[in-house]
Amino acid sequence: MLTFTLRRISLFIFTMLVLTLLSFSLSFLFPGDTVINHSGQINATASELVQLNKAYQMDKSIVDQYGAYLTHILNGDFGQSMASQSPINNEIIELLPATIELSLVALLIAMVVGIPLGFIAAINHNKASDNVILSLAMLGYSIPVFWLGLLAILVFSIGLGWLPSAGQISLLFEIEFVSGIQFIDILLSDSPYKWQAFSNASAHIILPACVIALAPATIFIRLSRAAMIEVLAASYIRAARAKGLSFQQIIFRHAIRNALIKIIRHVGLQFANLVTIAMVTEVIFSWPGIGRWLIESIYQRDYTAIQSGLLVLSCFIFIIHILTDFIYAALNPLARGNQHGS
Amino acid sequence: MNLLDIRNLSIELDTPNGRVLAVDRVSLSIKEGEVRGLVGESGSGKSLLAQAIIGVLEDKWHVHADRFHWRGIDLLRLTIDERRALLCRDIAMIFQEPMSCLDPTTLIGEQLSEAIDSKQLSGYFWQRKKQRKEAVIKLLHKVGIKKHSQCISSYPHQLTEAICQRVMIAIALAGRPILLIADEPTATMESTNQGQIYRLLANLNQLKNMSILLISHDLENLTHWTSTITVMYSGQFVEAGTTEQIFNKPMHPYTRALVDSSTKANLQLPTKSRLMTLPGSIPILQHLPIGCRLGPRCPRAQQTCVSAPKVSNFHGHKVSCHFPILHESPRKESKKHKAVKHKTVKGNN
Repeated sequence: MLTFTLRRISLFIFTMLVLTLLSFSLSFLFPGDTVINHSGQINATASELVQLNKAYQMDKSIVDQYGAYLTHILNGDFGQSMASQSPINNEIIELLPATIELSLVALLIAMVVGIPLGFIAAINHNKASDNVILSLAMLGYSIPVFWLGLLAILVFSIGLGWLPSAGQISLLFEIEFVSGIQFIDILLSDSPYKWQAFSNASAHIILPACVIALAPATIFIRLSRAAMIEVLAASYIRAARAKGLSFQQIIFRHAIRNALIKIIRHVGLQFANLVTIAMVTEVIFSWPGIGRWLIESIYQRDYTAIQSGLLVLSCFIFIIHILTDFIYAALNPLARGNQHGS
Repeated sequence: MNLLDIRNLSIELDTPNGRVLAVDRVSLSIKEGEVRGLVGESGSGKSLLAQAIIGVLEDKWHVHADRFHWRGIDLLRLTIDERRALLCRDIAMIFQEPMSCLDPTTLIGEQLSEAIDSKQLSGYFWQRKKQRKEAVIKLLHKVGIKKHSQCISSYPHQLTEAICQRVMIAIALAGRPILLIADEPTATMESTNQGQIYRLLANLNQLKNMSILLISHDLENLTHWTSTITVMYSGQFVEAGTTEQIFNKPMHPYTRALVDSSTKANLQLPTKSRLMTLPGSIPILQHLPIGCRLGPRCPRAQQTCVSAPKVSNFHGHKVSCHFPILHESPRKESKKHKAVKHKTVKGNN
């Protein structure tokens, strides 16, 4: 297990190095002065510019420049936002938790809905329920997210008035910022209206999370259906039937775990897709997350913010990817231990 | 009394081009305490037959039989669930490639313990777990695994094929079966491990009077372990009889060819000369010959062979051929076969 962890950590470090290289090269590719793209200080005076050039070692070779850039990033200094002239790392710390919260809740909904539906479809392979689930999955996958988001607001917020249409929580509640993840902050706060705030925050997250979850859920349906069909045709399932186990015992004791192993690796891959959908959805639902901030930065040509936002988001996606790898190893005894020749 | 009595069992497969008769009216009977061999090339439908008996075939296969009796009970009169419940209690099966027949993500101990019926355990529910564990250890000892604690806490991929097959046998024994169906139990093993598994099966047969249906493609190896043998070719019944009858006096041209192609029966052959084989190969399921399916490859085939032969019985030696090879004096045989033999001689001339 130690080797497994070390391998994942080294993979993480090298991927992050490549990512920083990419974001470093973006400063050169974006229009404008490189050092201003790095730091975001568009209104710098001459003396400040000299200081910045020294800090980013612009007079030295490109390797030294990259080293200086890396040091800045490792110290948590992403520069200033060109639009608001406030430090980017503060903005990211405020905004990223909201995106993490939204995308994780959406992932949870997608898995909880998608995987069992896929299993049901596989168990009733080639029957009516299988076809119904598959066509629903096809339909859900084809709906564009921006249209679905607007439709959901129209129906559930304006038409039926069940759920709020925008924001993370009602402005009435004053929650102290601790971790940034709304639910944890609410539970940590000592406000007398804690539980009202909690239910209000839940009502706010349902609609955007469901909109985000739809497309990944349909993918999970298809993945889990294919995995389950494959597992049910395996010879250990036939042997289990010959052993005299009932159908439920076979499904719950043998089939589900083996099918989950096949799916869990794809969850990490699908997460990147999910975050992209979440960015669009954040704009529609005015969710104060990093996705909306990033899209606004793109509109405002805020190059420094774009650079750092991309870096932070991809880092987050990669961490989730590694976490799913660990879950995979925990579920699958074949992935644990030393793998020689692989 | 016959333990298992199957008459004219057919298995059909749904394909895009209509149904294909994969197994064509095969009869099989097993007596109590008997080791019966089922021999045929790969693709001859012997595994299908075994899976049809125990009822684990997929939905695309359709099984029909004229008679299907288990210890005197007519299984055709029972519903599918009743039949499965009855057969799973009394019949156990082990498969080829044991490693793929064990769930790769579940510990061996768990897989063994779930095969133990809770009816076998006595005592209150808090004693059950301990009893189950004891039963598992006992089963592992029965199949000759001494390091039981190590085996219980390992996954299938951590064990060798031979140990996995022993575990499979232990799982099969957990239900205390009367009949054990072994479907090529040593297909992927080295010869030393093969011997161990066969010896284990022979011991179980002798000590527990357990009947065994041993399925294999290796006639020569099978003769060491079986008392009676049934031969199949391309889904059709070929010949059945005691091991001596089949190996020493084969009556069907196909069995003759099988015996001729084995090294043991041909010790008198000069070194480096070729063994006798039939020309051609086993037909594929989409292009089965009509009548006797051996027809195109058979050295004794004649025009009559386009219709399927009936099974004729020579003192318990059953053969399904128009022109069987007869070793006994012609006087003992029926008129029909006299004529047939006469014809054959003419044909040979």
